[in-house]
Amino acid sequence: MIKELKSPLRVVLCNYGRINPESIEEYIAQDGYEAVGKVLRKMRPEQVLSEIKASGLQGRGGAAFPTGLKWEFTAKAKDTPKYIICNADEGEPGTFKDRAILEGDPHKIIEGMIIAGYAVGTHYGYIYIRGEYLLSINRFNKALKQAREHRFLGNDIFGSGFNFQIDIHQGAGSYVCGEETALMESLEGRRGNPRFKPPFPPSSGLWGKPTLINNVETLANIIPIILKGADWFRTLGTKECPGTKVYAISGHVKETGLIEAPMGITLREIIINYAQGMRDGKFKMAQVGGTAGAILGEDMLDVPLDYASLREKGLVLGSGAILVMNETTCALDMLKCFLNFFERESCGKCIPGRVGTKKLLELATAISRGEGSKDDIDLMLHTAKVMQKTSLCALGQSPILPISTILKYFREEITEHIKGRCPTGVCKI
Amino acid sequence: METALVNGITIPHLCYKKGLSTTGSCRVCMVKIEGSPGMQAACTTEVVEGMKVITSDDEIDEARKLIVELILSEHKHDCLVCESNGNCELQDLAYELGIERIRFPISKSIEPTEDSSQVILKNPNRCILCGRCVRACAEITVQRVLNFAARGSCTFLISGLDQPLADTDCVSCGACIQACPTGALTEKLSRFQGRSWEFRKVQTICPYCGVGCRIELNIKNDKIVKVYGVEEGPANKGHLCVKGRFGFDYVHHKDRLTTPLIKHNGKFEEASWDEALNLVTAKFKELKDKHGSDALAGLSSAKCTNEENYLFQKFIRTCFGTNNVDHCARLCHASTVAGLARAFGSGAMTNSTQAFERADVILVTGSNTTEAHPVIGNYFKHLAVYNGTKLMIVDPRAIELTEYAEIWLRQKGGTDVAWINGLMNVIINEDLYNKEFVENRTENFDQFRKVVSKYTPEKVEKITGIPEEKLIAAARMYGKADRGSIVFAMGITQHTTGTDNVLSLANLAMLCGNVGREGTGINPLRGQNNVQGACDVGALSDVYPGYQKVSEAQARKKFETSWGVKLSPKEGLTVVEIMDAASKGEIKGLYIMGENPMLSDPNLNHVREGLENLDFLVVQDIFLTETAELADVVLPGVSFAEKEGTFTNTCRRIQLLHKAIPPIGKSREDWKIIMEISKRMGYPTAYHSPGEIMDEIASLTPIYGGVHFDRLGEQGLQWPCPSRNHPGTPYLHKGKFTRGKGLFTPVDYIPPAELPDEEYPFLLSTGRILYHFHTGSLSRRSKPLDGIAPEGFLEINPQDAEKLRIKNNDWVRLSSRRGKLKVKVKITNRVDKRVVFMTFHFAESAANLLTNDALDPVAKIPEYKVSAVKIERI
Amino acid sequence: MKLRNKEKDVIALLNKAQRENKHNYITEDKLKLIAQETGLSYSEVYGVATFYSLFSLKPQGEYVIRVCNSGPCHLMGSKSIFDVLEKELKIKIGETTAYGRFTLEEVSCLGICNEAPAMMINEKVYGSLTPQKIREILIGLKKK
Repeated sequence: MIKELKSPLRVVLCNYGRINPESIEEYIAQDGYEAVGKVLRKMRPEQVLSEIKASGLQGRGGAAFPTGLKWEFTAKAKDTPKYIICNADEGEPGTFKDRAILEGDPHKIIEGMIIAGYAVGTHYGYIYIRGEYLLSINRFNKALKQAREHRFLGNDIFGSGFNFQIDIHQGAGSYVCGEETALMESLEGRRGNPRFKPPFPPSSGLWGKPTLINNVETLANIIPIILKGADWFRTLGTKECPGTKVYAISGHVKETGLIEAPMGITLREIIINYAQGMRDGKFKMAQVGGTAGAILGEDMLDVPLDYASLREKGLVLGSGAILVMNETTCALDMLKCFLNFFERESCGKCIPGRVGTKKLLELATAISRGEGSKDDIDLMLHTAKVMQKTSLCALGQSPILPISTILKYFREEITEHIKGRCPTGVCKI
Repeated sequence: METALVNGITIPHLCYKKGLSTTGSCRVCMVKIEGSPGMQAACTTEVVEGMKVITSDDEIDEARKLIVELILSEHKHDCLVCESNGNCELQDLAYELGIERIRFPISKSIEPTEDSSQVILKNPNRCILCGRCVRACAEITVQRVLNFAARGSCTFLISGLDQPLADTDCVSCGACIQACPTGALTEKLSRFQGRSWEFRKVQTICPYCGVGCRIELNIKNDKIVKVYGVEEGPANKGHLCVKGRFGFDYVHHKDRLTTPLIKHNGKFEEASWDEALNLVTAKFKELKDKHGSDALAGLSSAKCTNEENYLFQKFIRTCFGTNNVDHCARLCHASTVAGLARAFGSGAMTNSTQAFERADVILVTGSNTTEAHPVIGNYFKHLAVYNGTKLMIVDPRAIELTEYAEIWLRQKGGTDVAWINGLMNVIINEDLYNKEFVENRTENFDQFRKVVSKYTPEKVEKITGIPEEKLIAAARMYGKADRGSIVFAMGITQHTTGTDNVLSLANLAMLCGNVGREGTGINPLRGQNNVQGACDVGALSDVYPGYQKVSEAQARKKFETSWGVKLSPKEGLTVVEIMDAASKGEIKGLYIMGENPMLSDPNLNHVREGLENLDFLVVQDIFLTETAELADVVLPGVSFAEKEGTFTNTCRRIQLLHKAIPPIGKSREDWKIIMEISKRMGYPTAYHSPGEIMDEIASLTPIYGGVHFDRLGEQGLQWPCPSRNHPGTPYLHKGKFTRGKGLFTPVDYIPPAELPDEEYPFLLSTGRILYHFHTGSLSRRSKPLDGIAPEGFLEINPQDAEKLRIKNNDWVRLSSRRGKLKVKVKITNRVDKRVVFMTFHFAESAANLLTNDALDPVAKIPEYKVSAVKIERI
Repeated sequence: MKLRNKEKDVIALLNKAQRENKHNYITEDKLKLIAQETGLSYSEVYGVATFYSLFSLKPQGEYVIRVCNSGPCHLMGSKSIFDVLEKELKIKIGETTAYGRFTLEEVSCLGICNEAPAMMINEKVYGSLTPQKIREILIGLKKK
């Protein structure tokens, strides 16, 4: 079980660690499937759409697209059949929130998918769970079986005439398949190469049909919004980013795990109040948003961690993963680690992604061996900038963020390596 | 991207290729759009009215430069010995961007070249992973042999299960080579044969089959080095098959006849043209005087041009004075011409190959299209996979198209009238037929309907073996189609009931109103590159050019006036009849141009008898074929590359050839040879060029009325084209049939002439494979083609093989009532039980020794598709 | 029939084939069978099988050890985990032990970041790793 760090608020994680995830009865006892019942018996699809729109919920996978708008686009699309997909290919390093929800409260996702299906007008749902999450797959399978037995899935749910079915598609080890178009390629039985956008999934997605793709955490939010209302949801978080966020903390803190808090909590609050402070040394930096996220220095400890506030500062919230690093960390060593990730996970389709990620790693490695030059640092930055402008998908577009932010704070430390010295002693020069 | 290209603006790109799907993967074509942030890929961004696009500025150019440097940093791009040097999109881009140095560390992994294929050379060091070859293989030929493996910077190109290309399903079409922007995929046999800038390029038409692909010959020092498919070619859009792309080397084969040959005491000796022509003229004159005009005959060539065929039939009719002129069309589509002429008034393919994409159902029967007309066959596969077109295949063999079929009906050989009537029975009973069309545009429906009513699905199952439910499903599929197209070839025509078969298909098309609209029709796929043309210009025993009947006084008068000679009113003998008459001594002298009856006619022993019995045989060809071996005089003609003229493809498209190289040795263009003989026989003609000959054809042939060389350009003209201003006709019978109303012909099922029995228990069917063409006189002299398929096999079902205790590659003796041969066995489920199949490409096991020369009574076409044979282990 | 209708099952079929194989890999025969079943071409199946990290076309150990070296795990000491494993098993990353028991792989984030450094051995997850813990785990597996 993942440790839950005494969250100030438990909306998405309300059942997590409190019910037996393999028992549908316990889920039902916590108002489980009430939302589906309400939606199918008392609401029209348009009403569901307007409620979600009114809530201001944004996609919790990282892109933060207004969920209600995405649902509406899909609902309005004329072509059939439509599909909805739950993106459970959680691969951003440092992120384990979706795993918690799938392992701890799978029925919540089933409910969310049924409601989404009803709202946009489709009977077919897929959940794409990454292949490494075997327990999640196992539990979700059990949950599906139970839901079918209880007639929450299948034909004529709640006597409403609405049919819905969900199938699991298991991933096989590819971070890029978390990108929605690569996910669809993978689901269709191909290599996980992203597609170019437009067209966007709501107009042309799975097998060319209108498809709604939502993250696990996003769907988990549907239930409380339906049960308690959009207005209630808006009372949480900030004006631009309502609701809660499940943050995943890892690294040099005393307590690692998950915390669910209203959008806008700060890094300092998280580290001190929930993660019980730094471990083994002073705070040096934190990466927020996973490996594709930006580095935050001491000067950013009080920035509200919500999509809008971070975007204003040229940073990202992304998946809400937070990796905290103390002064024993070598900035270049971590940068190499990040670039290694991109290189390994690149799908290979586009030149900037495929070759760019490789060259970035080569440059960083050379520097870390004392074999680089100052020009290499600038070349790295420049290449990442061009990659940001030209890459086919977010993977190639991302390295600029960790590179530029690390350089912003630690250019000197990195330059030291060129002179043959690693200040923290981590790199063997 | 497309809009820019059409308007002459080049946006640099690497992964985009016209005709293939776009992937937006190279990111070189990034542009800026006013009002939108950042950059977009031009190839995947749709244009909108009023959009302002910036295709180049400092930022864009720098991005492009960096991307190209990234490519260049990854592999060893060795331009020095690369075949694509000077013809490489990567080179062009690097030059345009002025890349003098590469900023990145260079990874010099060097991979070995893969050269297992006979024709395709794969050099992974030059591969930029643009994916064009993968898409070409998936979308053009739909073979899907090529793909990417691994991921990220480890990605590489594979074929099959990362096997050598020769071990995969690769059909060597070379679409990948043509798609490749660099020298990663090149023609193996053209290696080191010339630099790209050394080639003289000439566009012409492929000499193999009736598709009529437009090709570009790349020539160095008068030798053809390589061939490209011309993208604007109307019949092929740049696509080719292995024969068209790689099978051209026969033109330069050492076996090419370079001088006339005269047989002295059973041996050929070289002679001068004068000697040979004088002998030919003298002998023919002698025989004509002694035995009369009808003791002479001529076999024209479906491989030669329209102009040559016209001259040949004119020669036979004027100089020999007989209508005994025919050619191999008799053996393949005579029943088509007879059947469709009767039903519609015109015997040709009604629609165009390009318009197949408009059909929602395509019924293909008696055609192994992916092997016999590969460019069209692959197009069917493409439509089935990418266009949602429904294919219905009716064939006794499990041909490749059955894997793409919505419905496959497997009928017993020779039972076609039954299943076609069966389909129509269901269509009528379920009220699926086009009543309006039948009412207004056809006649004789009631008589026809009475006969069809007898062919219930139950009865049809008994005759054909097709299960009732399947027949009904098929009937519904065709009957409900908005635009249904019927495609057929030898499996329908080469029967003693060939004409009936074609009439039945015509009935089916008319019944559902599928004639006279785009994407519908009856579409016979003509075999030879110019068999349609040879028929059009009258190389047939019963008609003059334009299908004007020899027996009709008015038509005859017209030609007599133009040619200035009295013409015979008597219809001549057809191909098989000529052989028969020769063996009886009724034909004494025979002039054969570009035809090889010693391998292509049925019952070869009988053919040999006939030819050997002649007093005088002249064969004009480019190789010493099996037929030429028997000749008294051999005249060396030229290949397609050495002459000007026109070919007419299967959908009536007349296309212009350009002479690319001078005649080899002392050989002469065929039209010049005929003119010479004609002159010496007392009928001089004064054509200075094939263009003049076509002008004469135009003046006498209404369907070619507006055809002149200066009109033919890149797209050719589809007849009927009656006048100079007429644009040509993509599909026939619009509004009304050529004969007015379409004629329904009631047709009853008649079994084939010879069915298996106790003594000869197997049914033999003959046909073709992809890598060879007909009697192999050209393709077996092509190094790559013969290299890929050096020998022929007898296809036999595993159950039968087991009973006979034969294994793969065992030799067997195959015999029929007419002859016997030895052949190797290939065990496959493609053929049904008690059925065997072999090709007629290999002279060593000449299938036609066994085939039946029983003829269709109307069309006089032999029943190649059904004979009874027995198999013995050797 | 080559018309696409079962393509989407290819990953599931590859996964099944690998799991049922003692050496945790997909044989060439299986690839061909899967091609037939799904209507995909050989190259398409091969392309899919080699794209995804969890699939292997070469025999692996009975136990495939996947150690994460993404951000959190790297920070928390995945390098020392690799060092211990390489020493104990006497193989380098990407190799399989002589008797085919263990394969050592480096992989990207497994989603066990709160217990970094972490690894998976076949289907089991192990977190909060220390060199001592690794040794114990290996002993346990070797006994089986």
